[in-house]
Amino acid sequence: MSVIRILLAEDHAIMRTGLRLVLERQADFQVIGEASDGREALAQAQKERPNVVVMDIGMPNLNGIEATRQVSATVPDCAVVILSMHSDEGYVLRALKAGAKGYLLKESAESDLIAAIRAVVAGKAYFSPAVSRMLVEDYVRQLQDREIEDSYELLTTREREVLQLIAEGRSNKEIANQLNVSLYTIETHRGNLMEKLNLHTVPELILYAVRKGVIA
Amino acid sequence: MPVRASLTRAYKGLLTSSRAVLSIGFGGLLILMIVIAISANRAVARIEAGNVGIRREFLDRDHLLHRLRSDLYQYSLGVRDYLLNTDPRVAEQRRTEVLKTETEMDTALQKYGQNLPRPETAAVKELQRDLQLYYATIEPVLHWDAPTRDARGNEFISTQMLPRHEQLVRMAERISAMDSRQLLVGEAHVASVFAGFRRELMLTALAILLFGAALAWLSIARVEALERESDCRYREVVTAREELHRLSSRLVAAQEEERRKLSRELHDEIGAAMSALLMEMGSLDSALPPGDTALHERVQAVRKLAENNVGLVRNLSLLLRPPMLDDLGLVPALKWKAREVARRTGIKIRVEAEEVSDDLPDEHRTCIFRVVQEALHNATRHAGASHVRIQVRQEATQIHVQISDDGTGFEPRLEKGVGILGMEERVRNLGGKLHIESAPGRGARLSFELPLEQPVPVQPA
Repeated sequence: MSVIRILLAEDHAIMRTGLRLVLERQADFQVIGEASDGREALAQAQKERPNVVVMDIGMPNLNGIEATRQVSATVPDCAVVILSMHSDEGYVLRALKAGAKGYLLKESAESDLIAAIRAVVAGKAYFSPAVSRMLVEDYVRQLQDREIEDSYELLTTREREVLQLIAEGRSNKEIANQLNVSLYTIETHRGNLMEKLNLHTVPELILYAVRKGVIA
Repeated sequence: MPVRASLTRAYKGLLTSSRAVLSIGFGGLLILMIVIAISANRAVARIEAGNVGIRREFLDRDHLLHRLRSDLYQYSLGVRDYLLNTDPRVAEQRRTEVLKTETEMDTALQKYGQNLPRPETAAVKELQRDLQLYYATIEPVLHWDAPTRDARGNEFISTQMLPRHEQLVRMAERISAMDSRQLLVGEAHVASVFAGFRRELMLTALAILLFGAALAWLSIARVEALERESDCRYREVVTAREELHRLSSRLVAAQEEERRKLSRELHDEIGAAMSALLMEMGSLDSALPPGDTALHERVQAVRKLAENNVGLVRNLSLLLRPPMLDDLGLVPALKWKAREVARRTGIKIRVEAEEVSDDLPDEHRTCIFRVVQEALHNATRHAGASHVRIQVRQEATQIHVQISDDGTGFEPRLEKGVGILGMEERVRNLGGKLHIESAPGRGARLSFELPLEQPVPVQPA
């Protein structure tokens, strides 16, 4: 069993201690360092190359979103899980655009953190249930408000499969292998479904998948 | 307000004093003009009457004198005819006529003698005397018989009668000449009266001119003083208003800053501490012996309480100032607000804000967010709207915002609550103007533009 190496970036010491306690109860988790601001977190991530960074969204010096953007850009195999007090989709979208793979609410961090880290290490996206629920509810309300057809109904079964796999973080090549079709076919499916859903970026697509309940 | 009262009093005092001065001045001028008009009218009437009187008197006397002369001729002719006529009947007839003419001449001369100017009296007296002498010369002739007349008639005519007749005629002519001179004297008198009047008129006109000039100068001075005064007051009012605006905008800014601090403190510090507490509770729960259900339940109950508190703190923080306004920018904050209100009230809210920068100046962000917040509050709380549309459009030099709802609407001129006044104030502080279009039963539309001092790059949300 390979060890999951984790960096904790959080400006409140008491929270850091609590998180470390939770993480260290897992035998295969190893907390390799702690950082109390964004700049420190970036430096340690680049030096230690952890599997996962648990990143507080509001930190001094460099904020969590910006630190996430730079970690994602410079440490490719490292997944970032955002810790936030905000359940609003504005923050979620901002985090996803910066390259975060998971989004957790601090108030439920203790119960969701383990699952989140296991999910992002497996290449999947993870959101606190409260966040997913809110995203879905808002989306449904918006659909009702605009009284338009649910665009999801426009997708073919194969496109839905591709949507789920993209949202889980798979590359086109991995999806082609898994579905046993050519890379070109996947690229076509991908283009079609984004056009049908009027989405332009992968973070938007992930958010959409969460709203539709395609992924957790 | 004491300042306002004293201002009003000073202004009214100034008005009253200058009004009195101007009233007296213009009243005096008017009275003077009326007086001069009346006196001019009188003088003209007097001159006219004098002229007419002098002329009529002259004409009357001239007429009398004329008749006297013609009577004289007729008398002399009558006497001659009487002397030269041989027919006794005709002679008798002429004699009667001569006597009659004599009476007429006396009457005329007597009439002429009345109301005579002094220089003429002597001449007329002389004429009267000569006439009596003439009568006396003629008197004996009238008793002559025909042969006497025939014998001495011609001689009498040439030696006695004609010289006296001619003397009388000359006398009458002299009186006539005197009359003409008298006319000239009368006319000269009238002319002098007229000249006097003209002098009087000139003097009065000069007085009016001087008085009017003084009055005009006074009026101009007063008006200038008033203008200076009102200009001064106007500047004071403008300064006071600007001061008030600056104060109110500073107040608004200070309030926002306070809210931002409080919100951050609540959210970041207290919220984070509560989260840590929750985590500790979780650790405590898992560290407890698994069998002790009662203890587990108590820990769970405490945890529930702490969770509620986290929610309370978060709501309080959002209520004070949503952190997304500072963290994410205007549009995400507006979208959050729309979702939050929609979730709470069930109304349908659309936010159309493509291509609006996330880096708008802080005051602009805050202003737009607060106005939209107030408008949403009105739409849901008072208007009972079921649809609200929020549009934000960024242009090169300004940002345009419009909020429309389908609620009950209101009469913007009559129902202006504190909320709307606050919105107007916020918009005005940034150099914009709030427009409200609404009517009972017709929904409401609020719109405003905020000028952007320097262009902010537009980035799609």
